[in-house]
Amino acid sequence: MRRSKQHEVEIQITPMLDMAFQLLTFFILTYQPAPVEGQFSMNLLPAAPAVSLDAEAPAADQSQPAELPAALRTLTTSIFAAPDGQIGHITVGENEYATLEQLKARLVEIVSDKTLPFDQAIIQADPRLSWDALMKVVDVFAGKDVNLTKLSFAPLESEPAL
Amino acid sequence: MAGSVTNEIRAEPNLTPLLDVVFQLITFFMLVFKISGADFDQRVRLPVAGSAMPVEGSVVDQDRLILNIDADGRLLWSGQVLDVESAIKKIRDQAELARLNLKVGGKELAAGDPLPTIIILRADRSVPFSQIYRYIQACQANGFTRFALKAMNAEG
Repeated sequence: MRRSKQHEVEIQITPMLDMAFQLLTFFILTYQPAPVEGQFSMNLLPAAPAVSLDAEAPAADQSQPAELPAALRTLTTSIFAAPDGQIGHITVGENEYATLEQLKARLVEIVSDKTLPFDQAIIQADPRLSWDALMKVVDVFAGKDVNLTKLSFAPLESEPAL
Repeated sequence: MAGSVTNEIRAEPNLTPLLDVVFQLITFFMLVFKISGADFDQRVRLPVAGSAMPVEGSVVDQDRLILNIDADGRLLWSGQVLDVESAIKKIRDQAELARLNLKVGGKELAAGDPLPTIIILRADRSVPFSQIYRYIQACQANGFTRFALKAMNAEG
């Protein structure tokens, strides 16, 4: 038996290409790159200073006396809100600051002074303060210049004297 | 000068490389295609904090409870909007469920012991602190002490 005619079989890839382009168009049009979400990890204990999940054990710090109570090692920072919910002013101890830059400069001074015992902080926030403003304060505390990651929150109970 | 074409030339473009590229692109987009989960509600506009650390794999594997709080201070639970009372009840139920799971797993907690579950707090940037603190207090009252406060690394 011999072949009288050689048949050439052609696969039609044009419809497949059309479908592939339609799929590609769909994915391109619906593509939304996911925004990068970060997080601050911390232990928030009720009515007690917080301890960061990533923090070393307190006993590792030999520069401070072990018997120093937690209250003396806790830096209390109060955030007062402006009428729009943003930061009005900030107090650290008895000092008042108007901007986050001033707060950051003061915190850098505090953490670089080895004679000061502070290794954790309580942020007392005005109830009207927006979450965005509070997270900006947390950002200053947790930033690499300050790196004070043992934080806890408390509501500010009294209004500042006008 | 005119010449006649004696043999018909069929010029067919080779579509195979094109198809390969298209399929590779489709594969890429299919892999990065994010099916929007109710856990990470896109209605919540997170605050921006440059120091917020990206989530590590070990944290993702841990037991966690995600709280999405919208701009009105309401909890978004599986796409539904809950009022404060329902939200606090939901947190209490989740705490009981977590304790039950630990008990079944042979790790029964003593009274007052904190739960190992991490609360992923995704709150809208415009919510006042007082409204978020209600949920934090509800979590603390039910034994949740481990929190992860979500923020964007950069303005999105």
